[in-house]
Amino acid sequence: MATKTLEAGAAGHGAEPRGKRSEAGEATYLIAIAEALWEEMERDERVFLLGEDIGVYGGAFKVTEGFIDRFGPERVMDTPIAEETIVGMALGAAMEGFRPVAEFQYADFMSSGFDEITTALARYHYRSGVPAPVVLRAPSGGGVRASSFHSFNPEPWFAHTPGLKVICPAFPGDAKGLLKSAIRDDNPVVYLEHKWIYRRVKEVVSEDPDFLVPIGKANVLRPGTDLSIVTYGMMAHQALEAAEELAQRGVSAEVVDLRTIQPLDTETVLGSVAKTSRALVLYESHRFLGVGAEVASVIAEEAFEHLDAPVARLAPPNVPVPFSPTLEDAYLPQVSDIVDAVDKLTAW
Amino acid sequence: MATKIDEMAMTAEQDWRAGLSDDQLRDVLHMLKLCRYFDERMEALYRQGRLPGAIYSGRGQEGTHVGVTYALREDDSLFPTHRDLSAQLTKGLDLKRVMAQFWGRIDGYTRGRDGNSHIGDWYGSRTWTVMSHLPIAYPVACGAALAYKRRGEPRVAMAICGDGSTSNGRWHEALNTSAIYQLPVVWVVNNNQYAYSAPNSLEVATPTIAERADAYGMPGVRVDGQDVLKVYRAAHEAVERAREGLGPTLIESVSLRWRGHAGHDPAKYVPKALLDEYMENKDPVRRFQELLRSHEVVDEAAIADIEERIKTEFQEGYEFAQSSPFPVPEEATMGLWVEDGYWQREPSREGGTQA
Repeated sequence: MATKTLEAGAAGHGAEPRGKRSEAGEATYLIAIAEALWEEMERDERVFLLGEDIGVYGGAFKVTEGFIDRFGPERVMDTPIAEETIVGMALGAAMEGFRPVAEFQYADFMSSGFDEITTALARYHYRSGVPAPVVLRAPSGGGVRASSFHSFNPEPWFAHTPGLKVICPAFPGDAKGLLKSAIRDDNPVVYLEHKWIYRRVKEVVSEDPDFLVPIGKANVLRPGTDLSIVTYGMMAHQALEAAEELAQRGVSAEVVDLRTIQPLDTETVLGSVAKTSRALVLYESHRFLGVGAEVASVIAEEAFEHLDAPVARLAPPNVPVPFSPTLEDAYLPQVSDIVDAVDKLTAW
Repeated sequence: MATKIDEMAMTAEQDWRAGLSDDQLRDVLHMLKLCRYFDERMEALYRQGRLPGAIYSGRGQEGTHVGVTYALREDDSLFPTHRDLSAQLTKGLDLKRVMAQFWGRIDGYTRGRDGNSHIGDWYGSRTWTVMSHLPIAYPVACGAALAYKRRGEPRVAMAICGDGSTSNGRWHEALNTSAIYQLPVVWVVNNNQYAYSAPNSLEVATPTIAERADAYGMPGVRVDGQDVLKVYRAAHEAVERAREGLGPTLIESVSLRWRGHAGHDPAKYVPKALLDEYMENKDPVRRFQELLRSHEVVDEAAIADIEERIKTEFQEGYEFAQSSPFPVPEEATMGLWVEDGYWQREPSREGGTQA
């Protein structure tokens, strides 16, 4: 089980070096992502990185620190601030046989490359039969006091767009194994790293260069019998904390981490709900038409006969992510909110 | 770096055939006439209600389309727009499969997943499957060119867009990026003077589009799109420059869009006098035919022979398209992901696919 450490410099900008594994072999999420990139670049010379400030500077969060010294500026390409062109260029290189991994400085800025992502990259293969093995990496999510333009969760936009796989890992091991799978996948993949997790969560992560976590498979983080909390990303950590608190009161919550948003592992979700008969869908994208809206629909449609209570959703309201700590905490589901939601669900 | 406006046009006078053999010149005439005939016939079928979907006529701009594409080698890539079917045909698309695409059939290049000139053939003629959000392929051309440069291959990417596309941010991003990395790419602007209904004056504040090249640190060339050999010469120089590792070039080829933006548009916003001038005095197809006749590269019999071949090609394409099956609805959701194997299978005669 991963351990959490709270560190200062919450917004996580790369003032600090990336750091190293602990002597026990524990890696932070940040280190795990860097290892995945490094190993895949060592394994396959078609893999290259492009993005803003990823070369000499090592990236806004220091994911690619030191990469340029090993792989050179051709494979660790600093680009102009031109998100549409970063994505389009990755697509063109992929069509010619490369396997580009593009970094967005923040997931918020994916909107600056939106057309090339959702029109060009996502829709090219269905119409032409030409694979587009491009990975778009982007730090997403809130909880780090980074305000409206550095805290967004864009996963519903991209999961709604046919042709893109969307991954939102919550743990270092999954982050590494899923990124390696994404780079080896022949389809475009949007890989959303959660910046709140970067330096907070560490665990022992495999050093096997072929360690892969399959895309499209959810993971039961904690077994339980009374209800299922279906979640992903930072909320997986809040859910585990809430489950611990609930256990002390005799409520057994099963926590399901989706890990991949598209394609969605409905089998694992429905299997869990069939067992527990209650479902709380917890997510960080906006409540209205967010990822959980689809998950709740699937449960309502396909597990109706198992349900002892209506499917409940807990997610941020439809406002931009606010800055002030009191406002951001009100915006994001807190552990106490999860416990309250579970109490309502189990009262049925 | 000086902008070489019309400099190409002057050198072209010194060698009227632009280095092309008689066979190549006749080939260019064949392409020009084929593209014109195809455009006219498809519009007629559209107006008769016999062609589904939309059409985007490139009539009047064949000098640009054929001229720039003729400068490319087989393994160079082309990133055109829906206006540039003539360029795709010149690059090598099979007329039969093009027509199957227009009628939404399984033998079309996109297997019915797209229609009309939203077409491409990456593994054959090395052309991009066109998308509407222009100039969406400009950044993509940067990526293909980056691949050639990285591998040290003597290949070039060429992208075409219209004057309207030069207002979009991606046009500027792509030109800037290509110059920064010195990519082997040729940027073609088919300036047909209208972006849908908007004239050049509402799209560009500079007197020419070519002079914008200065701002990005690359040569800019403006050519007369009515003269296919001038266009070819400019494109050939730009393509070979890129191939030698000397970076990108911007080519503005000026013509007039003879028809509306799409089949539904009567284009009444184009002054009649301007249209008449281009159609009567500046027709790139007729002009080139007269040039070849005056140099005795073709005679009446050769022209008649070309016209007969074109009619046959069109008729064969039409019949092929009508006999090609519609794609089966059961496969509408296939081909999104690589791993379902849809695109590895061949079309069947029932409209499905088979291993």
